[in-house]
Amino acid sequence: MRRHAAVRMLLHDRSTTAGAVLGVVAIVFLVGQQLAVMFGLLTLMSALVDNSGADIWILSQNSSSTSTAGDLPTRYVDRLAGLEGIEWAQPVIYSGAQFKLPNGTSQSVGIVGVTRPGLAGGPWRMAEGGSEVLLEYDGVTVDKLDLADLGNPKVGQVVEVNGRRIRIAGYTEGSRAFGPSVMFVNSTKAREITGVPADRCTNILVKLKPGVDIRRAQAEIRELLPKTSVLTVAELATSIRVYNLTNTGIGSSFGFSTLIGIIVGVVIITLTMYTNVLNRQRDFAVLRALGARQRDVFAIILFQALTIGCIGLLIGFFLLAGFLFGVKGSRLPANLPLWLPPAHALFTFLLCFLGSALALNRALKIEPASAFR
Amino acid sequence: MSEPVLRLVGVARDFSDGRVVRRVLRETTLDIVPGEMTVLAGPSGSGKTTLLTIMGLVLKPSTGRILVGGEDVTGLSEDRLASIRQQRYGFVFQQAALVPALDILDNVLVGTAIQGGRVSARTREKAIALLSELGMKDYLSSRPQQLSTGQQQRAGIARALVSDPILLLCDEPTSALDVESSHIVLDTLKKLSRDPRRGVVLVSHDPRVFPYADRLLKMEDGAIVYDTKSVSTGGN
Repeated sequence: MRRHAAVRMLLHDRSTTAGAVLGVVAIVFLVGQQLAVMFGLLTLMSALVDNSGADIWILSQNSSSTSTAGDLPTRYVDRLAGLEGIEWAQPVIYSGAQFKLPNGTSQSVGIVGVTRPGLAGGPWRMAEGGSEVLLEYDGVTVDKLDLADLGNPKVGQVVEVNGRRIRIAGYTEGSRAFGPSVMFVNSTKAREITGVPADRCTNILVKLKPGVDIRRAQAEIRELLPKTSVLTVAELATSIRVYNLTNTGIGSSFGFSTLIGIIVGVVIITLTMYTNVLNRQRDFAVLRALGARQRDVFAIILFQALTIGCIGLLIGFFLLAGFLFGVKGSRLPANLPLWLPPAHALFTFLLCFLGSALALNRALKIEPASAFR
Repeated sequence: MSEPVLRLVGVARDFSDGRVVRRVLRETTLDIVPGEMTVLAGPSGSGKTTLLTIMGLVLKPSTGRILVGGEDVTGLSEDRLASIRQQRYGFVFQQAALVPALDILDNVLVGTAIQGGRVSARTREKAIALLSELGMKDYLSSRPQQLSTGQQQRAGIARALVSDPILLLCDEPTSALDVESSHIVLDTLKKLSRDPRRGVVLVSHDPRVFPYADRLLKMEDGAIVYDTKSVSTGGN
């Protein structure tokens, strides 16, 4: 009967119930979409590393991010070949460059030079053509999402990067990184464009043989190449994310937006539920007089908060799914890790109960004697 | 003479505004016996409602003892008192005080399972029978706001009776009713007071109520000043 009464009260006070549900929807959607975009950006930040196909990255000493990487001697690759447990090691070149647009102006791009024939660190998803197009001397890929920024170059079209002529050999699809548009090219052409000498590279990617202990291999490489940073893919990805979050203001910006979403939601829930209890004081007093204990009133309010939470979650997640579907394949990165929706739901319920706390406090103070006044 | 369903022994109540303590109910000793309709009358502020709420176990007395069906309930916890109210008391409030969110049948049943659990089929049948008896059969699924005040009060009486209480406490049940509805309600309450297992106490300052009283108590300034039966009243 308690649950029945709780639901009936919610249905009776439709406008206040709708207000409280709106508060939950605000929390679920606003916070959810902020987190989805933040995780999308985090994924994008380390996309080149995560999708490189390597187990270990070697960077110049004290580097902790591809964007701050210095240069390494290419001969290190030969030294690595002497270690047991290494399947392959390939140098990669990362550098900024200027892409000349049809209107004569320039657009900053990131050049990723990969070594033929392995093409480690190359594009991980092609929209048109295979990644073998990078085997061609002057072939370069651009991502479909960046085409508009680069003047919509067609496949086969010759373009100019850093004053060097290269040919668009294919489009990638979602093979992008955080920052400017990424163009994949073979390392020979990359050196030509960026001016990195033949005996230098920015990173060396290492793939271990199956079953090799990554920590042990990492230690061996550190011993072999003491003047370098040797990081696993997970370590480097984390390092890049932390660097960007703390040095670009993204972290504080998303943190603030998320906080605003939470505050707006909690305030709405608090006000509507409190108003609801204020309007129902006489009913609660009558119920108390008829035999309801404080814990019964507590159960009614809690059940109402739970019901509002469930409805709000359902609508909020539906809108969130719509948002994720809408931005899928767009330039706005959005990604919800599998653990996030249940954690978000749990967090929302906690906020829902927090929002009900004031109403609960008021309801528990209602004296049964007030039914007689 | 029947055993009292309710006994108040030297019960008094003080209220404080933080600085001054004011005694709103002087020491009162009173027995409510079954099969009798006791009317508590008096002007506003005379202490009628305070006495009624103490009888109803919703307000604790500052001094004195309360015995319900012979059991001393004075020091019991709030939860235990709530359970006693649920099982042994029936309340008829001023203006019915039905819960607008519930239909009439649910309003009658809400008190029986408010401490959790489901309403038994037997209780449901009893509630329907009570409502039928009070001429409310056609309004089981109506909302209180769809009914007249007289009909609402009859639903309130059904709610008070559904748990078969030993004590029925009515707070100004006719104050919002027209003459005809008042008589219907008072006739019903009078009939209910004939049950030898149940005592009925009715607070009112409506003179139309007095002829229905088996016993009339008159209150003034926090004390019972007149009783058609012999009562012991303390105080100054």
